[in-house]
Amino acid sequence: MSVAEKKTRIIEPDTLIGKRIRKMDAPEKASGKTRYIHDINLSGQLHGKILRSERIHALIKSIDVSAARALSGVHVVITAVDVPDQRPIGVARDHFPLKVGRVRSERDEIAAVAAETEEIAEAALKLIKVVYEDLPVISNPEDAIKPGAALIHPEPHGADGSHEHLKQGTTIAHKGKPDNVAMTFDYAHGDVVQGEAESDVVIEDTFRLHYVTHCCMGVSGMIAEFDASGNLLMYSNTQVPFLHKREFAEYLNIDPARIRIIQPPIGGGFGSKLDIYPFEVICLYLARTAKRPVKMLFTREEEFLASPTRQPVLLTLRSGCKKDGTLTFRQVHTLHDNGAYTSWGATTPFVMMQTFSSLYRVPNCDYHTAAVYTNNPYAGSFRGYGNLQATFAIEQHMDMLAEKIGMDPLEFRMKNAQDAGEITGQGMSFKSCGFKDCLTTAAQRSDYSRKVQENKANRDKPGNIKRGIGMASMLHVGGGAKIYPSDGCGTILKMDDFANVTLITGASEIGQGSETVLSQLVCEELGLPISAITVVNNDTAITPWDVGVHASRTTFIAGNSAIGAAKKAKAKILAVAAKKFECAESDLDLRGGFVIKAASGEVVIELSKLLRNLHFQDKAELVMTTFYYEPPSVHQDKGFKGDVSAAYAWGTQVVEVEVDTDTGRVRMTRVTGAHDVGRVLNRLGIEGQIEGGVVMGQGYALTEELLIENGVMQNPNFRDYKLVTAPEIPEMDIAFIESMDGEGPQGAKGVGEAPAICVAAATANAICNATGVRMFELPFTPEKVYRALHGQTPKRYWTPWKAE
Amino acid sequence: MSELKHYFAPTNLDQAVECLKDGDVTILAGGTDLTPQSQAGRVKIKQTLMNIRHVSELAGITLEGDEIRIGALTTITEIMNNALVKQHLPVLVEACDQFASDQIRNAATIGGNICNASPAGDTLIPLLVLDASVELASMPEAELYRHSMPLSTFFIGPGKTRRSLCELVTCVRIPLPPENHVARFHKLGTRPALDISKISIGIAGTLKEGILSNVRVAFGAVAPTPVRAPRTEKALEGQRLDEATIAKVANVAKDEVKPIDDVRASAWYRKEMIHNITRRLLSHVAQT
Repeated sequence: MSVAEKKTRIIEPDTLIGKRIRKMDAPEKASGKTRYIHDINLSGQLHGKILRSERIHALIKSIDVSAARALSGVHVVITAVDVPDQRPIGVARDHFPLKVGRVRSERDEIAAVAAETEEIAEAALKLIKVVYEDLPVISNPEDAIKPGAALIHPEPHGADGSHEHLKQGTTIAHKGKPDNVAMTFDYAHGDVVQGEAESDVVIEDTFRLHYVTHCCMGVSGMIAEFDASGNLLMYSNTQVPFLHKREFAEYLNIDPARIRIIQPPIGGGFGSKLDIYPFEVICLYLARTAKRPVKMLFTREEEFLASPTRQPVLLTLRSGCKKDGTLTFRQVHTLHDNGAYTSWGATTPFVMMQTFSSLYRVPNCDYHTAAVYTNNPYAGSFRGYGNLQATFAIEQHMDMLAEKIGMDPLEFRMKNAQDAGEITGQGMSFKSCGFKDCLTTAAQRSDYSRKVQENKANRDKPGNIKRGIGMASMLHVGGGAKIYPSDGCGTILKMDDFANVTLITGASEIGQGSETVLSQLVCEELGLPISAITVVNNDTAITPWDVGVHASRTTFIAGNSAIGAAKKAKAKILAVAAKKFECAESDLDLRGGFVIKAASGEVVIELSKLLRNLHFQDKAELVMTTFYYEPPSVHQDKGFKGDVSAAYAWGTQVVEVEVDTDTGRVRMTRVTGAHDVGRVLNRLGIEGQIEGGVVMGQGYALTEELLIENGVMQNPNFRDYKLVTAPEIPEMDIAFIESMDGEGPQGAKGVGEAPAICVAAATANAICNATGVRMFELPFTPEKVYRALHGQTPKRYWTPWKAE
Repeated sequence: MSELKHYFAPTNLDQAVECLKDGDVTILAGGTDLTPQSQAGRVKIKQTLMNIRHVSELAGITLEGDEIRIGALTTITEIMNNALVKQHLPVLVEACDQFASDQIRNAATIGGNICNASPAGDTLIPLLVLDASVELASMPEAELYRHSMPLSTFFIGPGKTRRSLCELVTCVRIPLPPENHVARFHKLGTRPALDISKISIGIAGTLKEGILSNVRVAFGAVAPTPVRAPRTEKALEGQRLDEATIAKVANVAKDEVKPIDDVRASAWYRKEMIHNITRRLLSHVAQT
């Protein structure tokens, strides 16, 4: 290439945004080379195992660990007595990792062993003798709130001696609770009495939502190691490394600065790793006592028994509207089965009330939740965080109200749908809102309005296969959620002498594709190919603060943070170039690995060369930047009001089914989705995320259920806990509504949770469209549907109840 | 921890059967049930684990006179792909096609499915309506001894059969179906793959000029073992498959079974499904 040609080289504009970019971790995962926590082994490591309760609710009269301790190869056996400094854990600090004096659920941890092999540890567990005294089991939240119900967390009595070795504190774990109510949430805007008075139609129904669990392919596990100075190194699958670091320090009573968390690649999170669970703290105790690294991995059965579930909910909804289709009010009472202890499941009302108050324009809304203790498994956070439950009730009522006033269900929704610019009764401000586009797009692409009528007309024709179509929509936070004082994320960015970038981000990768999206955003700013970037995101000693993977926040929050750091790097580079080439910074840009003239695309200098010039000079400098992004959202006030997210995501899904009236089997044939995602960043990634979410929603709707009888899980295995398998996955048509959010990174919003939310609600509406039978309880398994079709399902009514 | 002390992989039937003499042996074929069952602690591996996969006599599908012999080690995939089975026993292919998943079918054997004796075993229902018999080998003295029994008498309870601890199932034998033979199978689960039946039904017989004779009906997952249904068979025998007959027989079938409630289905639903699916299968047969 001649000098003349080189000078006139033009770099055409190009973009990475909206392209189909392969996930950066895909080759390793597809070839089986990813090293999960299961594949990590430290020299000198012991294996930890936990003895769980044989009873559901009982006093522990005695524990004899002598035979276990005597077994060759066993290093440590601990019970609560051996850890006098145990502190209560959990969202409400209502339980000890190793249970003290009493067990309250099937999963309860009684003792733990660290041994040279897993087999020895298992054998040692079998040698531990526990004497119990059974207590009455409360397996139904309705029983838990009856006057005189047995208490799950009674005040400790001196007679059983169980708390004697613990300092009196103020937590539930220490002082107990005079009733079984774990948490309450009460929200209101407007006046529901007035709203009801203005209504032409009022309906009230009880909905029941069941137990499901995350089923991460990678089971829970961790490795803990204390060094000679007492510093703790944890290999952990947590979704929340920074907050958990602080919490673990509290449980160990050490300075948080002495804890370092490394996250190996995580085999699925979906919210399940958002809380600290007893096994993690117990693993720390074992490592501390053994003075050896201890690795603890769940078996699949343990994963079912001892990981959190989605929040089961009993919900009575009263809704009204006018004849012209205007919604007038909504009144909601829910009873959350908290299980034996409080984890994030109890706080799902934060999200549920948003859906009730703000998915549609409702002038009057009244919402109450009581989360009550039972002896069941305890619920945690799970993709959608209460929104699947709320949407299930609301969207069925939308169809039912439309039917009552004889209005087309799509038209009814359009009439009440939110628009950009609205501020809801709960104080959510919709700066961008593609809801109506979602409704019309999903309806058009699925031919919804024609099929609704056609299916209805065909309902009574002969044949055992009935076709149905149903619609549901959702609102979810899409710009983070300020549930902590901070919702921020930090970025450190450095460039090397060859114009390669290292992006050090606080945001964790749990398989959702954040590494790839963040890399795209940085490379877009710096005009570099995606191959020029390395992401470091899994070590609290290196990465800057972040509040964790939750609330669909990573693309939005970490994305804005990464862009901020990249912009600072770009500004520095352009300043250096402008000085060197004696022009204005605004005349220059970065593109294709070059500094170019912004107007013409003409190459000014190769970026790597410029960086080397900068580095190897008298006043040497490197390009290294940091940025911290805190979204402009606010913490809710005491009445749960406030603009909690910087942006909101919208979506409509239309589900089509075939119901076999001979068997009750529901085949999901097609899902048409339209999602307001702000803007598509990685088209391949977002398609995968939406499709995966739809399938998760399908399992929730049709096949998945943890069967709990008297506190005992009946199906802790993949044989009887039925995930959706490949042949059942419906045809999908997913459209993206690009509302270009002003605050979003390149206009994008978070959509991680969105796709799972509508499926069950839309399926309920589709089954009703096909058969004329409305179902209020999930899941729609063949037997449940068959029973409903044959009038064998008594309609449940739960009388609204509010904790004092 | 198991009591496992010895691993033995015989290469011929004599060695295998001789090993069984002392009785304290766990037999490994495909391992698709044994592995999860033993890991879950429901099955204890005995002192000797005998892997019979190298005993060639136990493999293969052959036509022997007027019988098809399927060796105990034949995998579900091999059965599905076998020309003889496809031609003469399509109902068995149908059942194999609904058996677990591809990966499991590649390893699971028909002998294992039979000896596992699950009331919901997928191949057992078609084998029952095809009048299959099992052949057992043992070595009471120094000589190999073989005997056969009808599959319909083989099962005595969930996981329990008439096979004694010193016997090995070598093959199943299925008489070649006569002319005008029809057979249908239906498995009902929550999902189409990787599922255990809530109920399953097999119906077979000779259909001539609209009349069904030589009727065989078998039900899965409604009793402690897969069962033949003599009352339903009797109600069908020699009947013309018109709508009235089908309705009547479906009711007989529903009354004949005494299922239980369990984690997969209630007794009520099982009876309803026996009725509805029997009706559906008979309508299909009538349309043949």
